[in-house]
Amino acid sequence: MAITRLGPNQDITAAKIAGTINFKNLIINGDMSIDQRNSGSSITPTNGQYGVDRWQNAVNVSSKYSIQQVSDAPTGFVYSNKVTSLSAYSIGAGELAGLRQYVEGYNITKLDWGTSDAQTVTLSFWVKSSLTGDFGVTVGNDNGRTYGALYNISSADTWEKKSVTIEGDTSGTWLTTNGKGISLVFALSTGSAFLATADSWNASTSYGVTGQTQILATNSATWQVTGVQLEADTSASDFEFLPFDVNLQRCMRYYFNHYTPDDNGLYGLFTAHTSSAGRMPYRFVVPMRDAPTVSSSSASGFTWLGNNTAGNPSVIGSESLNKYSCTVNLTGSFTQGYSYWLAGSTSTELRFDAEL
Amino acid sequence: MIQSVEKQYNLLNIVDTYKVILTNGEILFVPHNEANRHYQEILEWVENGGVIVDNGA
Repeated sequence: MAITRLGPNQDITAAKIAGTINFKNLIINGDMSIDQRNSGSSITPTNGQYGVDRWQNAVNVSSKYSIQQVSDAPTGFVYSNKVTSLSAYSIGAGELAGLRQYVEGYNITKLDWGTSDAQTVTLSFWVKSSLTGDFGVTVGNDNGRTYGALYNISSADTWEKKSVTIEGDTSGTWLTTNGKGISLVFALSTGSAFLATADSWNASTSYGVTGQTQILATNSATWQVTGVQLEADTSASDFEFLPFDVNLQRCMRYYFNHYTPDDNGLYGLFTAHTSSAGRMPYRFVVPMRDAPTVSSSSASGFTWLGNNTAGNPSVIGSESLNKYSCTVNLTGSFTQGYSYWLAGSTSTELRFDAEL
Repeated sequence: MIQSVEKQYNLLNIVDTYKVILTNGEILFVPHNEANRHYQEILEWVENGGVIVDNGA
């Protein structure tokens, strides 16, 4: 590669800085490449359940659609998030289904929303559907402010890039803490109680847009999205691809699934403080947004080894949780005061969830 | 959906975590922290009549 040295009076042109990373995208995992929870498997989501990392299902109807990370994407991308309608369901007034990402408040401070200096943002994304027509997307704060927009899909089963430019909201309260800053929702089907008017800020908490296609009203309808970017600008720029490891670590602030890629992989060392209870200090790979919820696969799938003995814990729990670390508690048959190795297999998981 | 919630005592006999059993059988250990979404769900569950079990330290 040729290296060009700039002279003292030469400017760095836009062409020279094209492709550099400046973390302009407020959306994390917009390319749908990280799927720690499901590894590409399909789920039929319940409310609040996550498919690919950071993308939550906001839904209060049961078993109306499945969602999955799939290897079908426009040029330059590898993955998309695919929704498949499981019936022809007429959504009720108080019902909703949508694909949501909460942007953490810390990441929207530069927007100055809720003030007279509110910055304009542009949302861009690639979308593909078996249906055509107008579809809804909302940006809001879950607290009485929602901007609704319609985007049109003109050709069925064809990837199309869309963009929506939104003047910053000069009203409302927009958190700039580690709480919910912005809520972005792609509407799948939305009841009349949750519909916003298109192309304006609404004084409501809404998750869909009047006039939108109700995707779940058509059995086997599909809808896919990837390349989602929300940036402080008046027009859309190219999607900002992050290195895989950077994208993964950004996701790990909100969710971390510790699994072992092979049998007897180490989870950590613990000490038996009684003959039946052990405690294992556990430090997170990256500091989490806040103290996470801990869960695990079946405790009996884990193995403890030490003092020339081995066994399976009957219970795995946790306490003393904060954003940096926690204690993992184990119940089993130990020798008090001894240290043990906690190992897993390819099917064991220790999960930490600090999602918004 | 929450099925039951039980207080968990740490080594200092302080309740800093809750053991939550969901109706699908999943078990969660939830910090006493209002920024945690599962703790927010516990608060809502209590508001709707749920009772947290306290089996002591």
